[in-house]
Amino acid sequence: MKDCYLGVDIGSISTKGVIIDDENKIITKAYIWTEGNPTNAVRKLLDILKKHLPKNCQIKGIGTTGSARKLIGLMLKASVVKNEITAHAIGTLTFYPDVRTILEIGGQDSKIILIKNGIITNYAMNTLCAAGTGSFLSSQAKRLGIKVEEFGDYALKSKNPVKIAARCTVFAESDLVHKAQVGYPKEDIIAGLCKSVVLNYLNNVGKGKKIIGPVIFQGGVSKNKGVVKYFKEILNEDIIVDENSHLMGAIGIAVLAKKHKTGHTYSLEMKNIKFQTKAFECHRCPNSCELLKIYRNNELVDSWGSKCGKY
Amino acid sequence: MNTVGIPRSLFYYYYGNIWEDFFTALKINYIVSPITNKEIMDRGIKTSNSEMCLSLKNYLGHVDYLKDKCDYILVPRISNFKNSNQTCTNFWAAYDIVKNIFNINILHYNIDLEKGQTLKKGLYKIGKALNKSSPQIKRAYKYAIIKHKKQVKKNHQINQNKLKVKKTKILIVGHPYNVYDELIGKDIIKYLLKNNIEIIYSDKFDSKITNPLSKEISKDLYFKYSKDNLGAIAYTRKKINGIIFISSFPCGPDSLANELAMRKIKKPYLNLVIDDNSSFTGLETRLESFLDMLGGKLND
Repeated sequence: MKDCYLGVDIGSISTKGVIIDDENKIITKAYIWTEGNPTNAVRKLLDILKKHLPKNCQIKGIGTTGSARKLIGLMLKASVVKNEITAHAIGTLTFYPDVRTILEIGGQDSKIILIKNGIITNYAMNTLCAAGTGSFLSSQAKRLGIKVEEFGDYALKSKNPVKIAARCTVFAESDLVHKAQVGYPKEDIIAGLCKSVVLNYLNNVGKGKKIIGPVIFQGGVSKNKGVVKYFKEILNEDIIVDENSHLMGAIGIAVLAKKHKTGHTYSLEMKNIKFQTKAFECHRCPNSCELLKIYRNNELVDSWGSKCGKY
Repeated sequence: MNTVGIPRSLFYYYYGNIWEDFFTALKINYIVSPITNKEIMDRGIKTSNSEMCLSLKNYLGHVDYLKDKCDYILVPRISNFKNSNQTCTNFWAAYDIVKNIFNINILHYNIDLEKGQTLKKGLYKIGKALNKSSPQIKRAYKYAIIKHKKQVKKNHQINQNKLKVKKTKILIVGHPYNVYDELIGKDIIKYLLKNNIEIIYSDKFDSKITNPLSKEISKDLYFKYSKDNLGAIAYTRKKINGIIFISSFPCGPDSLANELAMRKIKKPYLNLVIDDNSSFTGLETRLESFLDMLGGKLND
């Protein structure tokens, strides 16, 4: 039997899964939309992964990352639950040990990680505001009536991207509507949007950071050729986009799961496992904590959100 | 007998001890509003303008809580400490805002050192307003101020000792009314303590020492509390492992101080901006990865 390790990255927009072997080679991978329901998405994800998994492989470790990492960690009884910055850095360093800068734009978060000699020296992540991330692009794609996957191709066609306010998504959207109504062609508007994402990123998380090559760009938005093009233009650096750039977080957490194996063999069968969450508001004190109770096979496994620790 | 209400927010974290000792010595009844909870915060958000910063909203929530539980509410105006040491505009405006929103009696004094209005004069004014005689006030003032000075010295010493500890040390930079507030900064502190981090608070240093040191980072800064904070960074930078800057949304002085510190200090640095979104998930991701970076866990 061959040992292999599962990494799951559950983001706000998409859910990613990879299974790697001892040599960090990807055996199978999957990428699906989260659609606001992480547990369902993971069930679907495991079904896809299972279909393509060779018979002689057994899962020896599971790691979860992404914004729903804790929830899915409980559901899968994962051996490692880690934040996405760590996971992304480890994933990238596995394949590109010389990398100096990692740019990452995901569905809701964007981050920059600076690395020197394989050691993370600094990083930044967007604060309150999610402007210029994937969710903005996908909502604008819907507004313009095209698929977000085709965004990059449209943007490359444009020779004259329109200027769009890069500071705030709300302003960007009104700018965009205005430009469309005035009669600018679609591809120029889309190219303008891609450019505004880059400018927003550099002004927001990238400010004050020295970006040195080799630069790697990853996260879902890295699949958008338009954004890649404007990163290249504005930074005047070559931008590396790995073929698995959207899976780097999942790969990183799988690598971590490999390091933390417990000897336990995991099953990918989730059909018999009932996984439920119940939300309620506690009114014992004026704090009114929003509590979330998590049940696995009708058994309470964890509860979150309590300030006093009663639950 | 008259009761004075003290909102547990903004000024309280700078002057709370002095006020409490002063009133105790004068045998004046006072109540301090409770530790911030969701209800108080919601009251504040309801009564305030949407453009105000979270801390000021919180302050108004505390005033709202106190308004029918006491005869007076103590709302000073802290304007400046001379030598380009301004405070933020909220500290100037709090009195006027409270006066306009609430129909209550306010005990009020100004601190404006450029015009010679000191804390001493302010407390005398308050004592007089509460019908106390000058000798009584003098005694109470002396008692409060000596105790306060001792406390400042003690806090400074505690911080000094913490700098010698052989654990991962993080300097928490931020205004005390954010850092120690139950709904604003407490969760961050709790998380760090749970992870065995030695926390050094920037505001616990003696500002007489830290304030002038801010010149190492910027010579033109003129916000007193930002200067204290940056001074604390300059003072400790060789002895700490990382810096976490906590500010409330949308703080003006902090946005400037944060930029300066981030660019000029070459240390692992994390900026956390807090608004009233109740979930800790986003903060946890940032804190966890920050600690990973400090601990070098990524590379093992």
